[in-house]
Amino acid sequence: MDNPVDLDLELNETEAVPVARHIHPVFVLVPLAVVILLAAIFGIQLVRRGQTQPTEGAAPPFSLTTFDGETYTLEKLRGKIAVVNFWASWCGPCRAEAPELQKAWEKYRDKGVVLLGVAYTDTERQARAFIAEFKQTYPNGLDIGTKISTDYRIRGVPETFFIDRNGKIVRFFMEPLNLSMISSVLDKMLAEG
Amino acid sequence: MISNKVRTWPVIAGCLMAAMMVLVQPAFAQGPVTDDDVNRVARQLYCPVCENIPLDVCGTQACAQWRDEIRLQLQAGKSEQAVIADFVARYGDRVVGTPQDPTLRGLSLVTPWLLSAVALSVALGIFVRWRTAQARSIQTGIPVPAASTSARSSELTPRRLEEYRARLEQDLARRR
Repeated sequence: MDNPVDLDLELNETEAVPVARHIHPVFVLVPLAVVILLAAIFGIQLVRRGQTQPTEGAAPPFSLTTFDGETYTLEKLRGKIAVVNFWASWCGPCRAEAPELQKAWEKYRDKGVVLLGVAYTDTERQARAFIAEFKQTYPNGLDIGTKISTDYRIRGVPETFFIDRNGKIVRFFMEPLNLSMISSVLDKMLAEG
Repeated sequence: MISNKVRTWPVIAGCLMAAMMVLVQPAFAQGPVTDDDVNRVARQLYCPVCENIPLDVCGTQACAQWRDEIRLQLQAGKSEQAVIADFVARYGDRVVGTPQDPTLRGLSLVTPWLLSAVALSVALGIFVRWRTAQARSIQTGIPVPAASTSARSSELTPRRLEEYRARLEQDLARRR
């Protein structure tokens, strides 16, 4: 019997160049758009994470309503030196810093300095208890909606911003302060006028 | 023989009890708020200090204070949604995991829908192509060839199949 025909071989020999597969542009463009979109999301997130607290230039505007019902805004504080301190009752270093801030307030309140305490993600009950515990008499209020802490891009507590009479950030601390550190900054700012 | 008077008493008593059960509403005592109640709300919120840690499993003091706050609000009679709304009002959208950046927030809303639309489009496209091939196969009477890794075989239209068949018959005739 004749050898069986190697049909595949015959077909291969007579076969032309393989035809390119036709892919609809939609199946290329849409996945590409999705990849670009996801890259954009990650990119924006990375950029936002890289943004740190403002350490110079114009201070972000804020409005703080204190537990006493008074409202302080950056605009209202023009002409005065503002010390904006972010704290929380659950923050250990804030407890060490609290008496020092109170001492600084008592020393500088009559010299055109306003010390503001911004309670970060704190409950009102705990914040008031903290204030009472440390007998703080300077204005303190809750950061409603965490708007102020978002605008100031704080990473944690305690963080303190020193703002001059023109609304510009002069100094920033990402650590608990003591009276000596506060005095060294305020004395210089007061001397500069 | 039991007298009729003795037999009727149990019936009357039973009817009275049944009537009381229907007419008198039982007063359930309002139970205290349990840890499960608190955690059910806490599970929907995120730690204010640590990123992406749900409040119910976070061990920080801040989270403990927030859970206490949830407990107080539930005890005051607030609903779960009211408690969550209160937290959002006080601490911002971050507490429920919504990105604070407006661009990211917009993208987080749009992207899942977009990805679903893409997946659906691809599935639909594949289905339509399969149905078209099926319809063509029924029309010509030539079975749709099985999937092959060869690019050549993916282009087996009815016309090409006819060509192959003719060639095959020629080869077979030559070899006889």
